Amino acid sequence: MENNKLNRLEIITKTLSQDLLGGRINILLGWEKGHYWWQSRPLFIRNEKELGNLVWDSFCAINLSRYLPELLKDYDKIGVLVKGCDSRAFNRLLQDNMVDRSRIVLYGLPCMGMLDYEMLLAEAGQEIDSIDEKNEMVIVQTKDGKKQVDRSKVLMAKCRDCLYPEPVVYDQMLGEPFDRKQPPERFNRVADLERLTDNERYTYWEKEFSRCLRCYACRQACPFCSCIECFVEQENPRWLGKAYQPSENFIFHLVRAYHGAGRCIDCGECERVCPVNIPLQEMNRKLIKDINELFGEYEAGLNASEEPPLLTYKPDDPSAFSEE
Amino acid sequence: MVKMIAVNKLDELFSLLAETSELYLPIKNGEVVLYQQWQPGSLVTLDKTNSAVSPKDIFLPRDETYLQYRLCGRQLEMDSVEDVGDIIAFGIHPCDLKAIEMLDRVFIEQDPPDALYRERRNKTVVIALACDSPDPFCFCQEFGIDPLDAPGADIMAHLTDQKLIFHTRTEKGRELLLKAGNLLEEYKGAQVDKIIKTADFGLNVEGLVDNLQDRFTDPVWDELYLSCLSCGICTYVCPTCYCFDIEDYGNESAGERFRCWDSCMFGDFTQMAGGHNPRAGRKERVRQRFMHKLQYYPREFGDIACVGCGRCLRSCPVNLDIVQVIKKLGGVKDA
Repeated sequence: MENNKLNRLEIITKTLSQDLLGGRINILLGWEKGHYWWQSRPLFIRNEKELGNLVWDSFCAINLSRYLPELLKDYDKIGVLVKGCDSRAFNRLLQDNMVDRSRIVLYGLPCMGMLDYEMLLAEAGQEIDSIDEKNEMVIVQTKDGKKQVDRSKVLMAKCRDCLYPEPVVYDQMLGEPFDRKQPPERFNRVADLERLTDNERYTYWEKEFSRCLRCYACRQACPFCSCIECFVEQENPRWLGKAYQPSENFIFHLVRAYHGAGRCIDCGECERVCPVNIPLQEMNRKLIKDINELFGEYEAGLNASEEPPLLTYKPDDPSAFSEE
Repeated sequence: MVKMIAVNKLDELFSLLAETSELYLPIKNGEVVLYQQWQPGSLVTLDKTNSAVSPKDIFLPRDETYLQYRLCGRQLEMDSVEDVGDIIAFGIHPCDLKAIEMLDRVFIEQDPPDALYRERRNKTVVIALACDSPDPFCFCQEFGIDPLDAPGADIMAHLTDQKLIFHTRTEKGRELLLKAGNLLEEYKGAQVDKIIKTADFGLNVEGLVDNLQDRFTDPVWDELYLSCLSCGICTYVCPTCYCFDIEDYGNESAGERFRCWDSCMFGDFTQMAGGHNPRAGRKERVRQRFMHKLQYYPREFGDIACVGCGRCLRSCPVNLDIVQVIKKLGGVKDA
């Protein structure tokens, strides 16, 4: 398996190296290792030496499409490695006119889902030296030996219910698709919350939002948060105060969620980056579910030429307000 | 004075202390641990490593009112803000206490001192907790901090064998333990003796500080900022970040003026009236934050403004943390 992994990265690197040297792209966005093997950070590659740091493994969760709008100011042709979710993030940015398709080369990477180190640790019960991956199994190496863990048990929360592990848009695919089990039903948690009374739901979110630091990492990591100026920073009118009040925290999260209605690609980056574990995906998924029920099945970011339901008008659109 | 209490009796102790003081403890909130005011039923977690957010908000609350006003006819009436009561900061790790001492230099050891911060600090008894289970991100020893000992504490506590052992360090600490009275037992066991090793990233920060100012235009900054998402996580979880903003909250007839945390990672942090922004881009903002930690603070106060708590290593969504920055700037030990 170790050899297969190496070969996969070698093949990827070879293609990218040719494109970088040949001038197809001026810069490539990929990942490199962080301090530890379970961490990755974005890598900005302009030459062979930097390309040597490239990694592609089960810890490359960071969505790289998010960097494109700003990077396009400095570079003519940009290559970017995209997993399924990253490719949909790209479509999302394209729909908002934030990126120029002709200046981007998308390298597709089929994804088996990223692994969550904390969950690996919980399964191992002690410090982990390394891991090995075989299809649906992860083999965890500790000082006491090896332990096999079902991959689905140690996936990042955001990857557990992923519907599109393979890139939906790309210029070149750099890998073979995987066989993959059908993901579980992603609206179960939303349905649980829907069953609560209004007051119970309010209490639930009040507690969750009480931890919010208003660091805005959810917004900064989000592919639908592409506004040049966010309502949070607008001075006139001032929509949101800086006070650390429950009401202000609610306003921030509710406005952000509604702004994402029909535009959220369900990549889960918001929830992954949140330093205080607010279950932001539940809120986004509620809106995805509502849109599906009201306007018919729609998956944001699948097809850049398809208008999001809330940006179009159809005479038979539901009009619940006027009917009641 | 050395006393002890069995872990299963801690709730009684917390209950007693909370009668007369605001009692802050590392408490489980959802999946994360935060320093919060104790209430009956709070899930106190003393055996875990660092909280998600530093305990600096005990002294520098995220949001703190400092004056209230209302209009009475054409007259503006000012109301004074409620007095601060006694505070107990319980379970503070040595790295975090060192960071609080760094904030003291900024807020108290200045002329004039910051009255609000000084008031909260003076009214607080700090019960530090030896940290004997550092996680892979803890690197306090790189900065000469002993994870088992916090010299500035009023009481130093050690958790061992289902007992919490208290060593008093100051008069304030003695008084507090005396108040806890018969809940505590004498401790005659041996001094807790453990060897702890925190992560060694091979940093050599001292050499960096000497000439960092001259490297303001170093090309290294052109690379470092690239991955920054411009969120405020690092500044908000960091125990030595202390920037704040002042705003008003209210309506036409009444309101309050408060200060709240702010972050130099935000674009509007340096936004001027009239539209100019001296730190317009991510590069300028990333440079500012690390220059503050590694140059401006040490130049004013001597110490590097990092205690190795590891929170930015754990929480930065793109792994752009202080260890990476120090390394990229060349602050590494010779191999």
